[in-house]
Amino acid sequence: MSTKTPQYAAARLTQALASDPRTAELGVRVQLRGEHVYLVGEVASEERRRHLTEVVHELAPELTVHNEVGVVECREPSTAEELD
Amino acid sequence: MIRIAAVGDVHLGEDARGRLRPALEHLRDHADLLLLAGDLTKHGTLAEARVVAEEFADLPVPVVAVLGNHDHHADVPEEIAGLLTEHGIRVLEGDSTVVQLDGAAVGVAGVKGFGGGFAGKCGSAFGEPEMKAFVRHTEEVAGRLRDALDRIDAPARIALTHYSPVTDTLRGEPLEIYPFLGSYLLAEAIDEGGADLAVHGHAHFGTEHGTTPGGVRVRNVAQPVIRCAYKVYNLHGHDGSEAQPA
Repeated sequence: MSTKTPQYAAARLTQALASDPRTAELGVRVQLRGEHVYLVGEVASEERRRHLTEVVHELAPELTVHNEVGVVECREPSTAEELD
Repeated sequence: MIRIAAVGDVHLGEDARGRLRPALEHLRDHADLLLLAGDLTKHGTLAEARVVAEEFADLPVPVVAVLGNHDHHADVPEEIAGLLTEHGIRVLEGDSTVVQLDGAAVGVAGVKGFGGGFAGKCGSAFGEPEMKAFVRHTEEVAGRLRDALDRIDAPARIALTHYSPVTDTLRGEPLEIYPFLGSYLLAEAIDEGGADLAVHGHAHFGTEHGTTPGGVRVRNVAQPVIRCAYKVYNLHGHDGSEAQPA
């Protein structure tokens, strides 16, 4: 994938993360800086997090992928909000 | 007091089976009711819906859900709703349910909702058929939400949607995509329908707290926003045990 125009390249990667069945993620941001791509957001499992890197790397092997996506927390809540 | 637990955007699938269940074991200690604000699956397949059904089946409190856009992706939303219903989850789309609790009753009206944007910065039903269909779909679902709220015969009313009714809870999302995240028509329905609380998901980069123009509290419970298995809101003044304002 040509990354000469970073705006288009970032948009194509965002679309790929949404449409590729391995990821189907609309909630991950793609930021392109030179030859580096940064992925930001949260997903439901470690496997899905890995798939993000896979999909971006397949489409743009010339870029270095920085996967900063976290796996969303599932702990029991410790407090409640009072709505008077 | 009515204790309401809520979460949205859990995006379950085979790879996330059992992810939430440990945190639901003590749900009864925290809440009287669990609301699921859509995007329960990742691709909207029946296989994923089975994981959702098993995750939220046989809980000690009633579970009420709406579907989200991801739950429509495989074009089988009715089958998903049917499967969840078989597992005891009440799925709403343009209708409502009243949950009887000890000494109280709470009504929940639900729709998935849709986009369109917010007052002064929204699409209009004008021009191409595709644009008119987009805006009219939102008008239609907002109308069904208002009617569903109207039909609730209970002292407390909750509006449950996937898409957002307000921009407050979208803060953190890019402004450019607000029209795809919700519609003010949902807020108008919530205000006219006399809701006490509105709960939604969809906006993963948004914020939890907001209010409608009419003053109804809005909470974005998308799991990446709340960062826990579910949030709990204690709604006071609707069970007859507390003094009502004169």
